[in-house]
Order: sequence, then structure tokens, then C-alpha cells
Amino acid sequence: MAEAAPGSGGTVWLASYPKSGSTWLRMFVRNLLADGERPADINAGDGEPIASHRPWLDGVLGIASADLLPAELERLRPRAYDWPAPSTAPSAAPSLRKIHDAYSVADDGSPLAGRGAGRRAVYIVRNPLAVAVSYAHHRDCSVDEAIDLMADPEHALAGDAEGVRGQVRQRLHSWSGHVRSWTGAPGLDLHLLRYEDMALQPGRAFRGVARFLGLPFDVARVAKAVRFAGFDELARQETHQGFRERVSANSRFFRSGRVDGWREVLTPAQVHRIVEQHAPTMARLGYLDGPQARRPRRAAVPA
Amino acid sequence: MPTTSDPAAAQALRHRCQAYGLRIDSELELPELAPADPAADDGPADVRIVFGAVERDGPADGSARAIGPILWARPGALWLQVPGVAGFRVEDGERITVDPDPAADEDSLRLFLLGSALGALLWQRGATVLHGNAVQVGEGVLVCVGASGAGKSTLAAGFARRGHALLADDVVALDDAGRVQPGLARVRLWQDMVAQLGIDSAQLRRVRPGLAKYTLPVLQPVPQPLPLRWLYLLEAGEREEPVVTPVEGLKRFALLRAHAYRPRFVEGMGLAAQQLQACGRIAASVHVARLERPRRGGDLDALIDRLLEDTARHG
Repeated sequence: MAEAAPGSGGTVWLASYPKSGSTWLRMFVRNLLADGERPADINAGDGEPIASHRPWLDGVLGIASADLLPAELERLRPRAYDWPAPSTAPSAAPSLRKIHDAYSVADDGSPLAGRGAGRRAVYIVRNPLAVAVSYAHHRDCSVDEAIDLMADPEHALAGDAEGVRGQVRQRLHSWSGHVRSWTGAPGLDLHLLRYEDMALQPGRAFRGVARFLGLPFDVARVAKAVRFAGFDELARQETHQGFRERVSANSRFFRSGRVDGWREVLTPAQVHRIVEQHAPTMARLGYLDGPQARRPRRAAVPA
Repeated sequence: MPTTSDPAAAQALRHRCQAYGLRIDSELELPELAPADPAADDGPADVRIVFGAVERDGPADGSARAIGPILWARPGALWLQVPGVAGFRVEDGERITVDPDPAADEDSLRLFLLGSALGALLWQRGATVLHGNAVQVGEGVLVCVGASGAGKSTLAAGFARRGHALLADDVVALDDAGRVQPGLARVRLWQDMVAQLGIDSAQLRRVRPGLAKYTLPVLQPVPQPLPLRWLYLLEAGEREEPVVTPVEGLKRFALLRAHAYRPRFVEGMGLAAQQLQACGRIAASVHVARLERPRRGGDLDALIDRLLEDTARHG
């Protein structure tokens, strides 16, 4: 298995808060690269696993990450990501590596994502009103609980609690904190992408990210990849063969794919709560413009 | 950490114990290991564990290659640097030198010593080392391999609870004859797994300070090596029942290779050919299958029942 080091050479971080569309983008890139006659398999192995993938980390470090204290792990993760690949021919296509952690710096000053050469990242963001609904389904919790989690600066995935031991703990911060951490990270060549643009203006959004990644971006090829990675296709494949990244017991991973489905789900009180908690960041990203606005747009003070 | 140049005192600091068929002399106390048989106490130890200086970035003479951000290796030797805990140097299958960081506690030292360092030593001694757990079933051994976090230790604890002896948890050593050597007879479990097994974690010792992971002593040590008969790859799946799928042909060999203990160590110490041959031999005589356990919920006893059913059919 190739073990290229993310953040160095041809690897680009694909960062996002959960349920913001990173899987969708990965499927698009997979189809763009394959340029096949049929849609690519949603369950196909992609090369590099998510940054928090425990077996990968254990392999690079040579010890059990499960035996490390949280602070020790935070200091070692950047060194794992910066470790150069065993000699592999430099390939034209960059490797996209998923990460849900908020961007952070360990107590010894190392950025979690490492210092590898030419640190590049695509950061995907989605309206927190939609994220709240999707996250609730994903975690099999109530929407109110999801809203609480999204507001909690201490929220982490695979924390000390049950279950997903296959990944190390990923601190998310609050939803706003997560956005700020990546968009404000120093020294990062960052391409910001909105889920809503992928859904409503796919040609432009996907061509833009393809260019950023140094991938082919001619209209026809992109359009085909967009089609092969379209929601209907992804959902169809999940129905037939399941999707190995699905976590929820009750909900499909490719569940709805709509941009405005939250309108039918969130109560006015829930909308109000989310907007109150995340207004500055939402405003910066254009989520308080137009009919979605619940309060006057603030004078621009970046969060 | 206690060190001394007084031979009499040095003698007193020596802890003689055994594991993996080896007599071990250790300057660091190793309560998890069985004490050596006093009748066989004479004679030199097979392995010595000593405190001493270990180079922090691999050997200064450059004789070893960096194989990871905290690993260096060459044939017959491996260096591991766990920041804030210790440096370890493992040599010639006979000697492990431990260089603790000033604030390191003994539990933390033991954790990495009895995992990665000991695993490297066993490779150096010519064993085939797998990352998994080994339990006794009848007169043979069942080994469960799988990715970190797949649930191997919980499964081993479940077997132990049902009266099966545990040969190894994490570091499984096979000899040339395909026998599993009895290693450390204990499992280490996260808090929630301990609770799931109905045990009060307050009664247990933490694996190291600050970690909510506990040592479950398993009081059924196995006195001698036993033949490996069944190897299962444990994975989480979407189905609601455990499913066993046999692995045939070359895939058996590939599976064994893929679940070597710390593959990087094998490459770094030039043991790839040795490992290939050993895996070929083992694959020929062992029943190999995938065990898919339900990702959510899932009944540990049902899983074990399904496994035992399969072992009975492929004895």
C-alpha cells in the first residue's frame, strides 16, 4: 500500500466539518481521475485513509497510538504526516487526504496537519442549518443534540466514549471554530468551497477545485465526473452495495442531497439558535444573505 | 530509575521472569510476566533488559536507516523513540536497552517495552510475529488478527471469560513449527469494553497513568507452545449477524503477511524473505477465514459461538 505523506509533495488535505460534502468531493475527484465509461465504485479504496485512521498512524509510528496520551498523540501526528513516502515515482495527480480535525497546533508548536512542503488544502463548508439536520441523522441523535454538539468547543469525534476505535480522537471545536481554524490557518494554500455551490452551480464549483488540484478541468470531463458522482448515482450505489463509511444505524449516508431540506425539518426556535450561535461565520460565508437571513447582516468583521 | 555498578546490588535488581519460551533478566520489574521457574533458574538468561543510554535519533554512526519518524533499523537492531517516555534499543534478539525520559513512570515504560520493543526482539530471534490475540481452543490455538480498534482484545476477553486460556494479547509469536508461544496472559481494554463485560474498572489497574485503558489479568497461563490451527481476520460489517467467510489460496498467504506485527520492523531489519517463507508454511496448514462482526450492537457470546462452530468444523 502506498504511504505517501500528506502535506508534502503531491498530497492535498480535504478538510471539513462532518457532513459538509467532503465525501461527495472525493467521489467527484475519483471519477474525474478515472474518466471511465461508468461511475466509479463508492466503496473502492482510494489510497490514503483519513488522517485519523488509527492503523495507518500505528504503522508509521511503530507503536500503538491507543497507548499514547492525548497530548503525546497531538505531537506525534504531525511527524507522521510529514514523514516522507517510501520512494514512489512522483505522480501527476495529487493525493486528496480527508481530515475532520479542526486545524490546531500542538503544545510544542507543531501544526496538526504537519509542515510538509507546499501545504495545500481544500476546505469544504456547508450551511450549519443543513449540517445540523444531517449530523443528527448521522449520529442517530435529535436535532437539538446535534445543535448542542455543533456549538460545543470541546466536541470531538471518536473521543473517550464508545465505539469508533478505528480512528483517533478528532477535536472539531464548534462549527464556527472549525471554519475559523482552517480558513485562518497561517501558511496554508487553501481553496474554500461551499457545498451549496457544488449543488447549485456544479460546473463552476467543480471546475474551480479541479484547477486548484492541478487536475484536468475541461468542461466535458468535469461534467461527466459531476454526473457520475451525482447524488442520485451515489445513493443508488449505496442501496445496492452499502457504503462502508456509513455510521448511522438508521439513516443512509447519501440520505437527501438537498440544499434546503432543513427548512422542512428545523423549527423556528432551532433556526434561531443556530444563527445566534454561528452568525458571524455564517455571514462571512454568505449564509445569512437573501431569504435565509434571520437577522440583519452584520458589518463585516471576520470571525 | 535505579542503576548501579555494584555487582551484588546489580544481582539484587535483576528480575528473572519468562515469556514466549524465553528466560528474561530485567532491571525493570515486569509484574505482568510469569516468574521464571526457580528450578531452571541457573544459567544465563535468553534475553536481558537493561537501563542505559540510547541514542535519540538512531545510532550516531549512521549504521541504521530511519524507517519512520521515531524508528531506525538495520538487520539485527531497532531503535524506537517514544517522546516523553523512553528510547529503546533492541539488539540481536538478546538485549533491550531502555533509556527513560526523566519524568517517565514505570507503567509507561512497560507498555512500549512489552509491545513494540518485545515484538522487534521476537522478530530478531526468528519468530513470525503477528498483530493479534491468541486463545486456546481444545488442543490448538485460534489467532484473531485485525486492524487496531477492530475489537480483538474484547473478543479475547470474551473467550477468557468462557474458560479459554489466553496465550497472547497484541504480540503473537509463532515458531518454525507453527506453534504459538505463550506470551503475556492479560488483555488490555478501554473503559467502555470493561463495562460491557460487567466488570468494575475501579478494581483494575490502569495501563498507564492518564489513560482510561485497563489491564484485565487472565489467570489461565498456558505452560507450553501449542499449534496454530485457526486464523481469523476480524472486521466490522453491516450485517446483523456474525458471518464467517473462508479465505482460500494465495489470499491466505497475503492475509498472514498483511497482519505481521509492525511490518515496518520486518522491512527495516531485512527480514522480509524470512517472513515470506514462514507465512507460506503457515498458510498451508492453518484454517484462515474472515470474521465479520456486526458494527453496531452485536452480542459477544454469539460472536464466540459462531467462531467455535467454525473451529469445530475445521479442526
